[in-house]
Amino acid sequence: MMATQISKIAVYSENLDMLRELLGKAHQTGAEEVAVIYVGESNPEAGEYGTWGANIVYSVISPKLTEFNPETYTDAITEVISRAKPDLILIGATKQGLELSPRIAERLDLSYASFCVDFELESKSQQVLAKCMIFSGIGVSTYRLHTKPAMLSVAGGVFDAVDLPGNEVILTPVSATIETPKLTIIEQKEKMIAGKRLEDAPVIIDIGQGFIEKDDVTMADELAALLCGQVSCSRPLSSERDWFPEWIGLSGAQLSPDLCFTIGTSGAIQHMIGIRGSKIIVSVNNDEYAGSHLQADYGVVTDLYEFLPSLIKVIKDRSIRIV
Amino acid sequence: MKIVVCIKYSLDVSEIKVDSDSREIRLTGVPLKVGVIDQHVLEAAVKLAELYDGVVHAVTFGPVSAKESFRSALAMGVEDVTLIEDFTDGQGGPAVTAAVLDAAIKKIDGVDLVICGEVSDDGFTYQVPPRLAERLGFPQISFSRDINIEDGILFIHRELDDGSQTVEAPLPALISVTEETNTPRRPTLMEAMKAKQKPVHLWQVDEDLGLSKKDLMEKTGFEIVDTEGIVVNRKQHLLKGDNMEELANNLVDLLIQENVLEGGE
Repeated sequence: MMATQISKIAVYSENLDMLRELLGKAHQTGAEEVAVIYVGESNPEAGEYGTWGANIVYSVISPKLTEFNPETYTDAITEVISRAKPDLILIGATKQGLELSPRIAERLDLSYASFCVDFELESKSQQVLAKCMIFSGIGVSTYRLHTKPAMLSVAGGVFDAVDLPGNEVILTPVSATIETPKLTIIEQKEKMIAGKRLEDAPVIIDIGQGFIEKDDVTMADELAALLCGQVSCSRPLSSERDWFPEWIGLSGAQLSPDLCFTIGTSGAIQHMIGIRGSKIIVSVNNDEYAGSHLQADYGVVTDLYEFLPSLIKVIKDRSIRIV
Repeated sequence: MKIVVCIKYSLDVSEIKVDSDSREIRLTGVPLKVGVIDQHVLEAAVKLAELYDGVVHAVTFGPVSAKESFRSALAMGVEDVTLIEDFTDGQGGPAVTAAVLDAAIKKIDGVDLVICGEVSDDGFTYQVPPRLAERLGFPQISFSRDINIEDGILFIHRELDDGSQTVEAPLPALISVTEETNTPRRPTLMEAMKAKQKPVHLWQVDEDLGLSKKDLMEKTGFEIVDTEGIVVNRKQHLLKGDNMEELANNLVDLLIQENVLEGGE
């Protein structure tokens, strides 16, 4: 009989929030085997993965896997894939995931489509059909992936996590030959982690290069505090100016708050895709023709430096809050 | 030191429009050019060549119509450009591109360092540089920021999502750079004039690289069965005026009507 769903899905992400979302989706497809690929120096808390939807954890443990190294991780993960023989591998599209996964796909000759937003088994061909973003989010193409396993990268916030208390999970150790890597990590520094997850905030204040000085961010902070929101930014404010540890966009966080203010941003597609899922978008930009206004419900055409203090005052005076 | 840069003649994605009725993605008339990210690739390569007495060769897999588009790359300091004709008309996917670039780099021979952009302007898959590194058997250092070389060893600082790493790897190696890595130089008029004398070689995958087109096409690994544009259906209601408090009140009223905000009393 023709299968109607993918039977074995394996998931890899070093980012636990993304791992959870990928497991949630894999579980919801009804796959028989939902596997976590774990790579590290000591065994993980497998039980937690069970509550996230996994029923098996393939774990490669080695002192050579203490730090992220694309070469050693490729050796470990390819071994798991060869052993576990999943039909589909989902990869969290973090920088590590994006560096690691194509190398694995090349070694194992896997069909690989990037930035997947949905997938299913095509019953006629028994191959995976995957909808993936193209041109950094302008469109979606449906790919028929020819190999088994096939591979997909998935950005954060695309799929929903599940909570399955008591769901049983088996920990299966996998031994892998890990070659001595050519790349050596001399130093690794952790970044400051944001207090509250942006994904959980009902209101996002998304700021762009219209903000001139770092001190000006206090206006955005004040607005966020009044509405129980979080402030985040476009890529240059994080990567060039280093004002924030992370940014919003295709290469960063993708959020769907109830209300998003996008302030002093230009409206570039690579950025807007990160807030496209918002229920209501308000843009503030003094350029009437800014791309951000075209992608907003309400576009305030004015200078943010004049407008924000008034908006903050009105919200305070009228005791306005988020619903 | 022999450096190869992999660059791409890319669509200007910001010019792509979607027909709001048919959801068709309109590519006709969208300009193509050497990618914005490639300016950073070229800058990184030329700077390293200056510091460590190197030569930079550019390799690109694309349409023959791109031939005249490399003037500025050559003016920045690239020795020559090798354009390998894309017989797939852009449909081959990252696995094919990596296989072709791999063969070209092996033919150039004796390459110490390959530099790519983290992701192309239009393809946006992030797949080609790691695939290429795997094929070449090179260590790969993606998202490189500071790049130094001492006695044939690369020392690189790079940013990941949750932190940063300082790493070392022996040459030959492959690195990718981001738009934050550097500020691309602007060639002088003299450099632009000299660039006119520099060659753009045209190679074919079969004749020049000994690859079979049929085998390459099988590497693609997928077919595209459907494509549609995403139509943004936002209200696009503009609010204008000189009285800031009035503007703010209007906006708040609208957001109350939308049931996302509520008043105090």
